[in-house]
Amino acid sequence: MLDLQGYGPRLIEGAGVTVQLAVLSLLLALVLGLFTATAKMSRHWLPHGIATVYTTLIRGVPDLVLMMLLFYGGQIGVNAISDILYYSYDIDIYINFNAFAAGVLTIGFIFGAYMGETFRGAFMAVDNGQIEAGKAYGMSGSLVFRRIRFPQMMRHALPGLSNNWMVLLKTTALVSVIGLTDMVRVAAEASRATHEPFVFLIPVAVAYLLIASVSEWIFARLQKRYDIGFGEQ
Amino acid sequence: MAATPLEVRNIKKRFGDTEVLKGLSLEAQKGDVITLIGASGSGKSTFLRCMNLLEQPDEGEIILHGDTIRFKETRHGREPADWKQVVQMRAKLSMVFQNFNLWAHMTLLQNIIEAPIHVLGKSRKEATDHAHALLERVGLTARANAYPAQMSGGQQQRGAIARALAMDPEVMLFDEPTSALDPELVGDVLKVMRDLANEGRTMVVVTHEMSFARDVSSKVIYLHQGLVEEAGTPDEVLGNPQSPRLKQFLTPNY
Repeated sequence: MLDLQGYGPRLIEGAGVTVQLAVLSLLLALVLGLFTATAKMSRHWLPHGIATVYTTLIRGVPDLVLMMLLFYGGQIGVNAISDILYYSYDIDIYINFNAFAAGVLTIGFIFGAYMGETFRGAFMAVDNGQIEAGKAYGMSGSLVFRRIRFPQMMRHALPGLSNNWMVLLKTTALVSVIGLTDMVRVAAEASRATHEPFVFLIPVAVAYLLIASVSEWIFARLQKRYDIGFGEQ
Repeated sequence: MAATPLEVRNIKKRFGDTEVLKGLSLEAQKGDVITLIGASGSGKSTFLRCMNLLEQPDEGEIILHGDTIRFKETRHGREPADWKQVVQMRAKLSMVFQNFNLWAHMTLLQNIIEAPIHVLGKSRKEATDHAHALLERVGLTARANAYPAQMSGGQQQRGAIARALAMDPEVMLFDEPTSALDPELVGDVLKVMRDLANEGRTMVVVTHEMSFARDVSSKVIYLHQGLVEEAGTPDEVLGNPQSPRLKQFLTPNY
């Protein structure tokens, strides 16, 4: 039987951190992605410009660099604010820039850019006639979005979203550099202490594989749901 | 006297350097069936799409029941000043498209009840009952739960007409409703449209079906290069064309 030498509970806790981090980052990335796609399709220069700078910057700088920038930069920013509060208003608070929040923000922020491109492509794949029909029947822009554009866009977006999610899931392993104890960090610590890397790294690999398989299943279900009516079931 | 359901005055539209509509007007009284004919590129579809603002006319007025659509000038050209007004106006002008444009992710029944529920605020029950009556009327009762992709073109277009009728529109706009259909399917769609005309629906129809224009319309407008070349009753325009271009347009060239 596999002997985890007492690291079992910590590994499970670490897996919990990985899953929470990944899911929260995904939600943030999806919201940012929708905004980015909308901004990029806007004919006004300002939202278009901001979104373009955002996707260019994020996709051109390594994830690890961004993560450290946001984590250390975030702490410096928070410190500066609490200094101002203390010296100017005599309010004494100390805010610790939370590593988990930094992780979620960074990963969400990075993948928002990728999701944005995925959504943009998917929105452009929706037949314009479908949208015109909505407008012609008196639907407002938001109603057209909710009832027609979004559901029809999703079938085009899902393959890309699924791919982004898999990469995002594995990117969470980077958070150990900013001090978060996810399952990779626990396994690394245990391997060093016991000199038995396989005992800890193989279960971690299997855990990632398990999460990935469950995700695949969920995405397949979603794809089936959004393919309804398009004759590709 | 009741106000005119739909009146458009002096509509002009450019695409880049090309002026496609050079000042077109039209007045649809209750029960009128107005057909717009003309060669492709004459601007008839664009004119129709300007009426419900799927295209933004650069100049001209659109008046629904005495209610004039307000515009404002922006850097991108003229735009409606109040989109709420446009949305309300569109709900009274149902459009039937050349390519049907039934929403692909919904069944036929869902297509028909969608706008009545979400735009007009009808209850699901009321909208569904009405939809079933309309489906029977266009002969599609059996296809209520089919998706558009599972239906023939003719069925889709009749379904699209049912969707338009579900809005209880004041004016129906038809944009070449039979042009994308196989010849043997055209008859069923035209029959539904003839019935609508006979019951006194107000319709503006862009079409290539001269027999429909001749038999059903109260007024025929022949457009050429963004201008009205001839307009009048079917007998005048189709029976006794004056301009050489219209004569040539009406001559079958096999």
